[in-house]
Amino acid sequence: MGVTRGKDMIQRKKRLPRVFDYFVEEDQFAGGNTFCAGCPAELALRTVPKVMGKDIVMVGTPSCSAPVLHGQNLGSWHKLAYYACVMTGVASSASGLARYYQRVGIDATVVCFTGDGDANDVGFQPLSGAAERNEHVVYICYDNEGYMNTGNQRSSSTPLGAATSTTPVGKSARGKRNLSKYLPLVIALHPVAYVATATLSNMEDYAKKLLKAKEKSKEGFAYIHVFSPCVVGSRIATDSAIEVCRMAVRTNYFPLWEMEDASFRFTYNVAHPRPIQEYLQLSGKFSHFNEEDVERFQEAVNHRYTIVDSLCRSGGAFDIPSVQATVSR
Amino acid sequence: MRKHDTKVITGNACSAYAVRLCQPDVVALYPITPQTEVVEQLARFKADGELQAEMIEVEGENSAMNAVTAASIAGGRVYTATSSYGLAFMYDAMMQTAGFRAPVVMTNVNREPPGIHAVSSGQQDMIATRDIGWLQLVVEENQEVMDVTIQAFRLAEDYDIQLPVMVNYDGYFVSHSAEAVKIPMPEDVAQYLSALEKQPKRMKLVPGRSMGAGSHGLLLAYTELRYKHVAAMERAKAKFDQIDKEYGDFFGRYYGGQIEEYKTDGADLILVTSGSAAGTAKTVIDVMRDKGMKVGLIKLRMFRPFPRERLSRALQRRKAVGVLDRSVDFGWNCGPVYREIRALTPEIGCVPMLSFIAGLANLDITAGDVEAMIDDIYAASLGSRFQETTWVSLEEKT
Repeated sequence: MGVTRGKDMIQRKKRLPRVFDYFVEEDQFAGGNTFCAGCPAELALRTVPKVMGKDIVMVGTPSCSAPVLHGQNLGSWHKLAYYACVMTGVASSASGLARYYQRVGIDATVVCFTGDGDANDVGFQPLSGAAERNEHVVYICYDNEGYMNTGNQRSSSTPLGAATSTTPVGKSARGKRNLSKYLPLVIALHPVAYVATATLSNMEDYAKKLLKAKEKSKEGFAYIHVFSPCVVGSRIATDSAIEVCRMAVRTNYFPLWEMEDASFRFTYNVAHPRPIQEYLQLSGKFSHFNEEDVERFQEAVNHRYTIVDSLCRSGGAFDIPSVQATVSR
Repeated sequence: MRKHDTKVITGNACSAYAVRLCQPDVVALYPITPQTEVVEQLARFKADGELQAEMIEVEGENSAMNAVTAASIAGGRVYTATSSYGLAFMYDAMMQTAGFRAPVVMTNVNREPPGIHAVSSGQQDMIATRDIGWLQLVVEENQEVMDVTIQAFRLAEDYDIQLPVMVNYDGYFVSHSAEAVKIPMPEDVAQYLSALEKQPKRMKLVPGRSMGAGSHGLLLAYTELRYKHVAAMERAKAKFDQIDKEYGDFFGRYYGGQIEEYKTDGADLILVTSGSAAGTAKTVIDVMRDKGMKVGLIKLRMFRPFPRERLSRALQRRKAVGVLDRSVDFGWNCGPVYREIRALTPEIGCVPMLSFIAGLANLDITAGDVEAMIDDIYAASLGSRFQETTWVSLEEKT
């Protein structure tokens, strides 16, 4: 967009962030709802129908998004068609919905919205099953790195060394002992149509991916893994969640990439990654870290980044046949 | 009698043929012994273009139940089949199915559940899912599998009911036995099920419509939904009788609805049982009736809701009652159906009641076993001291 002086200059100043270009629908959620103050998952959720439109069916489960998504008795916090299921049932319920709509010729986008505890742990088998079947479903995992609805317990997405209520720091323990599961890559190794990572500091990137996921779900399974730190569990300031997201990207802790047609690419390049300490110092859950802990964490970040980097840089080197061709039903 | 095909097929094949006749929209498939032939046969029908349903080859039973429940809430006719371990693995989802009042039809081929690995018949699996709000039917033989599976869609989807239905039959004894079966014509089944189309339409989850399934139910709203669920289960009793009659009027085969009474007229002694054991019991009762013993059989066909009213009437003015269970009631040292019939004592009067536990883990229930049970019931009716619970097979061995 060319920028000139005078009148155009004023317009440029008024120009909304580019993410607004992707909004096709007004906000489908109540202005005040039951998300915690400063929770980025709320932004992640509100953005979904803004970009995908309101003719969707959302599928969710007991989680910290449930008070808003499920509603209470006859009360609702949103205007969407919604299906609430048991924690093991997100991807399988979405499969059932999508298949019925296909059977009777209803053009519908079925969108799962659930946390990392469900996607990584208790709901992982159905997620993997639906991905392998390449069901025509969008699955969004908002990753707050633990069971935050029940009050900050570790999940398999909780990072190395993080203090949670089930991996506390004490005389003989220094937080979570294991590395986290890197779910987006796990899903990318299924025969699916689309996989992406996203976070709330890069809204245009997120919106693009939502739009692409909606289109790709016509061909098969589309998965978006959204880094969405919990204000309470990560012990961050209520006005700092977006800054934490931004630093997660800039330190390569949470690289932004996508996979389609079996090829990986970065959607945001970090020219000069910041040391991981700049990310760790923002969260209270790492406040017990000593130099050695930081070093180990940096190694873990480097290791994961190297894998993603090699997949993205190799471009077409991975000559995997397109996986989207499904046998017509 | 309406036109039909006759084929010699197994109980499992009967399920699959019945499902094909009912043409569901979505079917979830996951194999488990001894149910496997059901899903194989359905997949074969689909491959041959004889079944139009979307087939979801899920990665486990839990997903099977979630998938068909969601498809049902979206508006579809749905079906899945399982057994034992599979039934246990879908427990949380089954509770949701019931709570959602989703008219799912499921075959459960009875098999002993986990704990003591037994790849063999027994009704403990179905007993373990007794209290989660499903309708549970139990059938005896292949033709009944065919007919009741068709009736199950009629019952589940009835506007006044809208509840999931589980059709149970004994693993191996029924699932793997082949018998000559009358297979109804598709157009006749369509006509029979068209009664549902004349009813008001149930709610569907439609994309773009502001509506949800699965809101948090709090306090009074929760209580109200439970109340309505229980009320629907109560209605299901008479509805199943009515469906059995309509089916009989249409196809010429009546089974008796909630219970089947066999030679109960003038019977002083009654044996109650369910499933394939009823076949053996009928044979024995025929012989004993010929010898002048006034004994009859009640075959329990509906386990949930429990046919209190009809059982109470059928068991009044008897001299002694025995109940044969193929499962155990942990904590009561008797059979589960026995315990429930004992709870009818205020209605039927205080007569000797005997519990027989037999046929666990594929053990045959022989004609001799049933004869011995009836002898015990007879002796008790004469005032002899009797043992309340008899582990039939163990008695024989010792």
